[in-house]
Amino acid sequence: MAAAANEPQSVILTINDIEIEVPRGELIVESVKRIGLEIPIFCYHSRMKPVGMCRMCLVDVGFKQPDGSVRMMPKPQAGCTLPADNNMVVYTDTEKVRRDRKGVLEFLLINHPLDCPICDRGGECPLQNNTIFYGPSTTRYVEIKRHLPKAFPLSKYVTLDLERCIQCGRCVRFTEEISGDSQLAFRFRGAMMQPSTFELTDFESRFSGNVIEICPVGALTSAEYRFRARPWDLQTKPSICLECSNGCNTWFDYRVASLVRINGRTNEAVNEEWTCDKGKFGQNYLNSPDRLTEVFVRDGDKLIESNWATAFQQVSVAFQSAGSKCAALVGGKASNEDIFMLKRLFTEAFGSNNLDHRWTRCLPKSDALYRVATSIADFENEPVIFVFGNNIAEEQPILFLRIRKAWFRNDAKVIVACPEACEADTFAHTSLRYRPGTEAVLLGAIHRAATGAGGVDIAEASSITGVGEEAIRRAADAMKSGFALAASRSLLDLRNGEHVVGALSNLTIACNSSEKYNLFATSANEEGARQIEFMPSAEGKNTREILEACASGEMKALWLLECDPLSLSHDNELVTKALETVEFLVVQNHIKSECVQFASVLLPACAFSEKDGTYTNLERRVQRIKPIIAAKGSAKPAWKSFGELLLRMKGDPPPFHAHEVMQLIAASHQKFQSAIYENLEGEGVVIPANQSTEPQAVDVEYTAMEVPSNTP
Amino acid sequence: MITEVGKDVVLPILKGFLLTGKRLFRDKSTVMYPEQKRESYPRTRWRHVLARYENGLEKCIGCSLCAGACPARCIYVEAAENTNEERYSPGERYAMRYEINMLRCIFCGFCQEACPTGAIVLRSDFELADYQREDFVYTKEMLLEPMPVQSER
Amino acid sequence: MPETRLLLKHSGDAAYRSIQGYMDKGGYAGLKKALSMDRQAVIDEIKASGLRGRGGAGFPTWIKWNGIEKEKTKPHYILCNADEGEPGTFKDKELMENTPHLMIEGMIIAGWATQGDVGYVYIRGEFVDCARAVKKAIDEAYEAGFLGKNIQGTGWNFDMYVHLGAGSYECGEESALMSSLMGERGMPRLKFPHAPLPTVAGLWDCPTVINNVETYACAPYILVNGGEWYATLGASTKNSRGTKIFSVSGHVNRPGNYEIEFGTTLAELLEMAGGMKGGTLKACVPGGSSVPILNAEQTMNAVIGYEEMVDAGSMVGSGGCMFLNEHTCIVTFIWRTALFYARESCGKCTPCREGTAWMEQILDRIRKGGGRMEDIELLKEICSQIDGRSFCGLGDAAAWPVAGALKVFPEEFEYFIRHGHSIVDGPEYRRMAPEPLTPAKV
Repeated sequence: MAAAANEPQSVILTINDIEIEVPRGELIVESVKRIGLEIPIFCYHSRMKPVGMCRMCLVDVGFKQPDGSVRMMPKPQAGCTLPADNNMVVYTDTEKVRRDRKGVLEFLLINHPLDCPICDRGGECPLQNNTIFYGPSTTRYVEIKRHLPKAFPLSKYVTLDLERCIQCGRCVRFTEEISGDSQLAFRFRGAMMQPSTFELTDFESRFSGNVIEICPVGALTSAEYRFRARPWDLQTKPSICLECSNGCNTWFDYRVASLVRINGRTNEAVNEEWTCDKGKFGQNYLNSPDRLTEVFVRDGDKLIESNWATAFQQVSVAFQSAGSKCAALVGGKASNEDIFMLKRLFTEAFGSNNLDHRWTRCLPKSDALYRVATSIADFENEPVIFVFGNNIAEEQPILFLRIRKAWFRNDAKVIVACPEACEADTFAHTSLRYRPGTEAVLLGAIHRAATGAGGVDIAEASSITGVGEEAIRRAADAMKSGFALAASRSLLDLRNGEHVVGALSNLTIACNSSEKYNLFATSANEEGARQIEFMPSAEGKNTREILEACASGEMKALWLLECDPLSLSHDNELVTKALETVEFLVVQNHIKSECVQFASVLLPACAFSEKDGTYTNLERRVQRIKPIIAAKGSAKPAWKSFGELLLRMKGDPPPFHAHEVMQLIAASHQKFQSAIYENLEGEGVVIPANQSTEPQAVDVEYTAMEVPSNTP
Repeated sequence: MITEVGKDVVLPILKGFLLTGKRLFRDKSTVMYPEQKRESYPRTRWRHVLARYENGLEKCIGCSLCAGACPARCIYVEAAENTNEERYSPGERYAMRYEINMLRCIFCGFCQEACPTGAIVLRSDFELADYQREDFVYTKEMLLEPMPVQSER
Repeated sequence: MPETRLLLKHSGDAAYRSIQGYMDKGGYAGLKKALSMDRQAVIDEIKASGLRGRGGAGFPTWIKWNGIEKEKTKPHYILCNADEGEPGTFKDKELMENTPHLMIEGMIIAGWATQGDVGYVYIRGEFVDCARAVKKAIDEAYEAGFLGKNIQGTGWNFDMYVHLGAGSYECGEESALMSSLMGERGMPRLKFPHAPLPTVAGLWDCPTVINNVETYACAPYILVNGGEWYATLGASTKNSRGTKIFSVSGHVNRPGNYEIEFGTTLAELLEMAGGMKGGTLKACVPGGSSVPILNAEQTMNAVIGYEEMVDAGSMVGSGGCMFLNEHTCIVTFIWRTALFYARESCGKCTPCREGTAWMEQILDRIRKGGGRMEDIELLKEICSQIDGRSFCGLGDAAAWPVAGALKVFPEEFEYFIRHGHSIVDGPEYRRMAPEPLTPAKV
């Protein structure tokens, strides 16, 4: 309302005879928390719009009259929808309110099956809790309860029990407001109302796991967790998800030393409280029989089980004899500590600088092109966001939720450029669906449209990219006064990736947005490896050169840490040749991968749940993981093995704890100084970006690239 | 002197023998265990049994409430889902594994009290001694009641 | 008082349905007059008339119209609630079929007074004939230049559309109606003080006027004859002015729509409808199924007027007046009412969703002879747990008739529970009662 701007931003109201000052418009259900009270709720969720469906939060409300008397409203009011106002008087615990709560709970329970003993939610169920605190102890319902399908498989991951549903609509609202896929809706009406997918199709969403967590009863349960444990059987520890570069915070629930389920853990700066399905359901490899748990060394054609001492012996001989002709490559799941110690091992003990963590086709030298300037949380308040390249919901699901929130809450203009249909199209201000391979041309056209100079001719670009001129102009119009870029480093996998990224950089500079340029990492600790500079120095070789040198026989020994080049690299032929040819190959991983067959020595590493360490997410937020379950077999954290090898070869005292490694990192990399372990509790620490000079426009060829028709 | 000895020593001894002597003519209160066993009280709580319904289905639904109630943390339950082909209990859920560590158990009976279906009951079998520690972990097979005879389905 | 036919004056005249016949009888004069007046003057005229909403709540119409912001920043919408779903009410049906231009003219006047841009007539899904009649009338109004661009040379544009519902009683609730119109599920939305009034943020968050068919139909008369003239009608009541159409049904000799001035008594209304049929008067539901029931004594003493009816123990409601004769079983009647509400509850809030279904189950059990004495107390408790606790008025509307009947006819319930059959069990009752019936234990 227009008048609100002039009115004071806070109001004074009375709750249970206590006067408090709260921001104008704050909901009563939130205000009462300020004085340590709680109003029971079911349908209300602080991250979604209030609806007032369940009526559990009814409170007595009145208004102070000018003469000092209080006029109570005739009906109780829903605390979850009522905004606080001046002179408001609220009672949360009168006899009348208690009676209303009891009444609502009695209504909810008459058709609830009370199969709590076999319900996965039993023990952590808001309905159980509220019933114990506020509900009636017996029922007066003697009729036959409603019978509906039980254990209906809504999707591969989510099971729906309609009898238990209390129709609070949280799941429906989640898919409408947060994930935006609108997969769930209510069918039928009255007592038969039930949440469901349209036409009972599969519940296809990238975020379907969250509805399990927000369901206040056991109506939506996880198909994987189904009957596997009760809450009191579980032990829970905080953890981090490594499935993508967002670094979502999770709760790791385990029983008898094996993972049972993953739940979202609140971190306002990263994932709020959400998780994607990849993170929630994709961690089963931890219990997989393919886990690498023992040391193996090659004996002719076979790998035979061995021990660390033998392996270290062989490794040190092989790498020392290789001299500087040895190299190391890491994948995305290695921790900061692992990467740093590996770098130390190679530079100090082996005297080699052939190190790399990047697996993209193009490996631009310029550090400026790898900038990340905007944090995940900042995206929420960006007025214009340019999402370029691959499907962001697939690559960075949690960042996608933030960008959607920016649109949903703050009406941000989101321009989506993607060669295929993607979720972000559903809320895009302009959707630019270009032909694969024409990225640079499209960016050139936007450049021309936004600045009137440079780039390429719009009409020509329109015919090449297949994007309408009108759309290009519309997008450029929205972007020309500044925008935040959300693109990922997978763009560098394009054959002209360097030009595409250069064009993006030029566009941000032209639109005065170079401080909002972001080229995000795609794997869990890619950004960490970049910050620790696990990259070749001047005389070192990069990934491609290393693989080529291996293939030609020039490189004698190769160390693969937490990576499977066959799945990471775009050139499988080269990788196969390299792995076959290289004389000595160390594969160190927590799981057996395809390249195991080429290995000379196989070293087991700890998975994230078994080790201590830190990971750096795409916004350079360093977050700590702690060992939760015991390491399997003779696996040990990779950094520990590097320390032991250093001790063996150089006599350096090895670090005993991961925090000592972090101190070493901080000592050699100034920016990590804030990330020592004492500071990492809570939301983690964002380390500063590299000091770089003002980004300069780069020369870019705004040309399309031939895409062979069989390329996906 | 002699009278003193008689009064302070002999007389009490004789009194003592008289008392025990009287008992010779009463019923014996000891039993010849293990040939003979004393009748136990109706609410005796000893060895656990997993009960069955009359039709042979297990009462246990694998809800783990007994494990939650157990102050000695000696019960381990792993549940699984019934299928129509393989049905162990009525409803959706049954206990795939049910183990009690009898060395830890303090026979408090909280498990019996917590059980919503009356599946776990403490009965009167008290002869639980054994030779191996491992043998004290009673598995579901050991705890389950035998199938009722009449229900040869 | 005799019947005062104002809105229904020409309802029997087939020619009146066309714009020509309507204009021959002085139609669109009110609009023409309004267009010549200042917008605020139109609202003042409505204020002077004392017109109150005819849909059931009786909210003063001018306050709604006056609440629309005068400095226009967004489109303004004029909504007509023609989702007449209240059992016993059928006045809007007649108005739309026989005098569609009256309603349309009223809406255009409202549009003029509030700088409206678009009008929607939300018609109940089953009223296909009404929709056809209204659609035809709208087309005629467009042709005659009362709708569309630059209406009557004023430079003001106003469009009007018909929207047919899909068969939901709940969509007669104004916020649910707006949800339905916007293409969402027909569920009510937050209301003041939880959310702004519809006059501030209604349809698509724009200022919206929403009134009943009958309310709009009154506007042309008020404009033509002046608000003060209109206020003389029903002047004998406390605060009810004008005429009200009552849909009289039940055990009367001549059921139908009767338009009466406020201040008429229910007894006179019954007289107009030809008196009772098949027996003496036992009870009356004066304002549609959701208002509390009155017994014969209360009925004969009741004066029609918003405040007067409350004093009598019931409400004017939407004017669906049902007279029940002595052979009516109140338990069965209330069960059937409860069944209606259980089926029509949208399911949004807990008390209404679960409570209405529970009440129906209990009444059904009593009706089938399985009642328990404690059920009476239980029903009263459930009513008090629904009334005022539900999200919208449907919950209250479901609780009032049950609570009312338990208060007015407790002996009928007690008798039914004690004996397993109705107090009025007899051939007349059994002929009327809905199937299936339990065999009477005589």
